[in-house]
Amino acid sequence: MSQYEELTTTMTDQQYLVEALTEMGYKPDLQADGTALRGYGGVSWNRPVQVTIPREQLRGALAPVGFGRDDAGVFQAVIDDLDRKCSGLDESWLGRVAQAYKERQTMAVARTKGYVFRGREVIQTPQGTKVQLRFAVR
Amino acid sequence: MREKLITVEIDENGNSSIDLEGFQGQGCGDVAKDFRGGDSVTQSNKKREFYAQATALKQSQKHT
Repeated sequence: MSQYEELTTTMTDQQYLVEALTEMGYKPDLQADGTALRGYGGVSWNRPVQVTIPREQLRGALAPVGFGRDDAGVFQAVIDDLDRKCSGLDESWLGRVAQAYKERQTMAVARTKGYVFRGREVIQTPQGTKVQLRFAVR
Repeated sequence: MREKLITVEIDENGNSSIDLEGFQGQGCGDVAKDFRGGDSVTQSNKKREFYAQATALKQSQKHT
């Protein structure tokens, strides 16, 4: 029987998280006060999650994925362990969420601080795909 | 004058690094601080240009 597991992230801003998930093709549900996750076979996660990706949007997955704030306000990912092993919702997937999140966050910081956006490039390296953002000083 | 360029590189785990071109001395730190302020950069390396400026500053202080 499967069970939910919590995977650690460093993401704190819900807006960037939602934008990152949207960029990856999901339409996450938002619950300001949080909601419990219910998964396959009655599996549940009792700590509230504020951002949920419905199971229907996760190809082949048994259960929805949630992101809930911990006591420090950091989002932790809640993923069914079988989906983590068999449906690709693993640490690599979560890393790509974090990558998209960081891109959003960096763009927002640059905009706020007045840097001029000069371009975006996706580069393949032996360590994997990297996103390069270039800015100039105004 | 050479344009000051900032390159932020984000890997597949959401870790980021910053590379600066055309900056000298404390200007580097200010830019790094801007991006680190939002926790958007997790790693930065000082380039030769930074140390060139720092050395020049030290030498000028010695002479005064």
